Amino acid sequence: MKKNGTYSRGTSLMRDALRRFVRNRLSVTGCIVLLFIITLCLAAPLLTPYTYDYQNLSSGATPPGAQHLLGTDILGRDLFTRILYGGRVSFAVGLCATLVSVLIGVAWGAIAGWYGGKTDTIMMRFVDIAYAFPFTIFVIILMVFFERSLLLLFIAIGAVEWLTMARIVRGQVMALRHQEFVDAAIGLGLRQHQILLRHILPNIIGPVIVYATLTIPAIMLLEAFLSYLGLGVQPPSSSWGILIREGTESMETYPWLLIFPAVVLSLTLFSLNFIGDGLRDALDPRSSRE
Amino acid sequence: MKYFCIFYMTAAAIILLAISSCKNQRRDTIVSLGTKNGVLYFGNQTEPEDLDPHIVTGVPEFHILQSLFEGLVTPDPRDLHPLPGAAHSWDISEDNLVYTFHLRSEATWSNGEMVKASDFVFSFQRILSPRLGSEYAYMLYCIDNAEKYHKGALKDFARVGARAKDDTTLIIRLGSPTPYFMSLIMHDSWYPVHPPTILKFGNIDSRGTRWTRPENFTGNGAFKLADWQINKIINVVKRADYWDAQNVKLNGINFYPIENNQTEERMFRNDELHVTTNLPLQKIDWYKNNAPHLLHIDPYLGTYYYICNINRPPLNNKKLRKALALAIDRKSLTDDILKGGQIPAGSFTPPNTAGYLFDPVVTFDTIEARKILSETGFKSGDSLPPISVLYNTSESHHIIAQAIQQMWKRYLGINVTLVNQEWKVYLASKTKKEYDIARMGWIGDYNDPNSFLDLWLTGGGNNNTGWSSPTYDSLVKQASKSADQVERFRLFSQAESIFLDELPAIPIYFYTNVYLLKPSVKGWYSNILNMHNYKHLYLE
Repeated sequence: MKKNGTYSRGTSLMRDALRRFVRNRLSVTGCIVLLFIITLCLAAPLLTPYTYDYQNLSSGATPPGAQHLLGTDILGRDLFTRILYGGRVSFAVGLCATLVSVLIGVAWGAIAGWYGGKTDTIMMRFVDIAYAFPFTIFVIILMVFFERSLLLLFIAIGAVEWLTMARIVRGQVMALRHQEFVDAAIGLGLRQHQILLRHILPNIIGPVIVYATLTIPAIMLLEAFLSYLGLGVQPPSSSWGILIREGTESMETYPWLLIFPAVVLSLTLFSLNFIGDGLRDALDPRSSRE
Repeated sequence: MKYFCIFYMTAAAIILLAISSCKNQRRDTIVSLGTKNGVLYFGNQTEPEDLDPHIVTGVPEFHILQSLFEGLVTPDPRDLHPLPGAAHSWDISEDNLVYTFHLRSEATWSNGEMVKASDFVFSFQRILSPRLGSEYAYMLYCIDNAEKYHKGALKDFARVGARAKDDTTLIIRLGSPTPYFMSLIMHDSWYPVHPPTILKFGNIDSRGTRWTRPENFTGNGAFKLADWQINKIINVVKRADYWDAQNVKLNGINFYPIENNQTEERMFRNDELHVTTNLPLQKIDWYKNNAPHLLHIDPYLGTYYYICNINRPPLNNKKLRKALALAIDRKSLTDDILKGGQIPAGSFTPPNTAGYLFDPVVTFDTIEARKILSETGFKSGDSLPPISVLYNTSESHHIIAQAIQQMWKRYLGINVTLVNQEWKVYLASKTKKEYDIARMGWIGDYNDPNSFLDLWLTGGGNNNTGWSSPTYDSLVKQASKSADQVERFRLFSQAESIFLDELPAIPIYFYTNVYLLKPSVKGWYSNILNMHNYKHLYLE
């Protein structure tokens, strides 16, 4: 209610959020950079005369120059081209696997935190066990029993990445469960799933989004490790994770092979984090409407 | 108050410890400590499949077994000629068919029992047992009737030509003269095992029992197995009761399974290893220019090749295999990528193996390759069933596979997928023939063309291609029976021509051994089999 007694026009939660997000300069910059990188990756064939698997063995690794903007790798492949094509894979894997892990993690954590008691104990002990299971062995077992595919990669990554998310969400939900607005909702006779969906989840969106934006780069690197073990992206295709891993191996001799993919990944990571920060501030129902 | 005292004392102790360890680090690196204590730090590539000499087939396993067992004779560190080992002397009959070994009465197993001639007979029987399924059993086929026993045609081992006359006399009767017999018996498949230990954990022909665990292990080598932590370390220590203990200068060897040769090189640079198995491709130039005294490039009796699964289409098509073989630019691989003095392989047996020469016939010829491909009936690369190339996880195999993948795509229009597997999974896939094309390397077990050519005999333990040719078999067998070197080599080259016409395996390059070695390791001589008898090594 404003001072002079007139009522302000009601605004929706989403419109408020959008207004707050646009005002945040960092997150808007993040959005622009991210969109720029994605556009470059999608427009790769227009931007480079090479294909990602074209080799020139006799030239070997050459430093950045006029002919190859970012230099070439040990097999004489153009690094710029490989970064662009690799970005497609990395974004696909990063976004999809994060989505999977968020969905499973939030559902699991929210149910465990909300119902508590035995349900909680059983669900969280399961998480503990899954945590303790050595990841490498899990991956090798998957490889022995199943056909290698990108779907399997999502499963393997999703299977480990949701665990932390579940723990975070459970803790948040437990903290919120005894707050007054929840008591009020119960008092009003709302059903449990309604309370969870409409009152609890919007309140935990902040940590979930921040953690999700951190998960994406982690998954991009994990994907490189899995590809090394033979699961996931296979040569001659590449991804940023693979480029960085290969770059690390020849860091001392051919530094550009590490620097450029790392710069691109870092830019993406920063953008995602800024966007995540902006989203958290924008979506938090507790933040003021000014 | 009391608790505070304890707290402060603990804190002080921790700080002191930290300071003292810092000081230590500055003064001594792991390698210099090892040098001082006589412990060799050995980069050994991969976790061994097992430590059973009758089961294993890989080079990393052999590196370890050489320290734990001793054959009848052992290789001279310089030129590999046979030196007395478990046997102090031997007699050879006039017709070169009967070898009589006189064993040392002072040689003991690591549990103190004497190494008897009957232990060797037991070991021969074990590796030849059909149910053990040893892939190296054919190494003993030169013994009279051994092949029949191994193939199940003969049930009574007493009729096989190995007999213990008494505790110290072992008589081996051969089926036919074998000129390279004395170098053959230095191979791991001829190592003895301790019968009571084997029988305690299973039958004579049980595979993968617990006898190779450190607490159960019994060997007769200069070292004994002290510790085996999977994927971490295998530690062997000097045996005080070894018959020649006064001449063994090392106190122990630590074998580290480091699959990533980048890590291995970093550990070497950080003074954590005395010797590495490999050197990353990218680092060769750096060492050539900056630290040539650490870089070793030794000739190595071995071939790097791709095997084809003959039982599975489309690689059952001989012309397709030929087209693939002709479309590999081997010179570019060795000169532009490997850069370690490797030789492009135009044949299967490395040139000049014990004087045997074979003119390279597998060349790089894209026009011929395309012509042959058009004769296969496959119109273009796209009409082929999918082909995959399998290799074990390693950076250099990965790079080579990518280069070859691209060559096949560029010159033939054939797309292949690459599959890499962890060492044990890879070995299993190969044995079960679950692959289309797989990477292989073969290091000669002894310096004779036979070590390369008897690999491809029908049903041979290491012939994982499913290829079989009766003419080839008879030529190689004839050669092994002949005592005349010229005649043998003539038969071998006839056999090799057949092999290279059929190409169940596509030769790629001949190895050199590229590795790093600290100057503190003495008594290490380069030799073509990369066999380094640890008992002659010392550190200073």
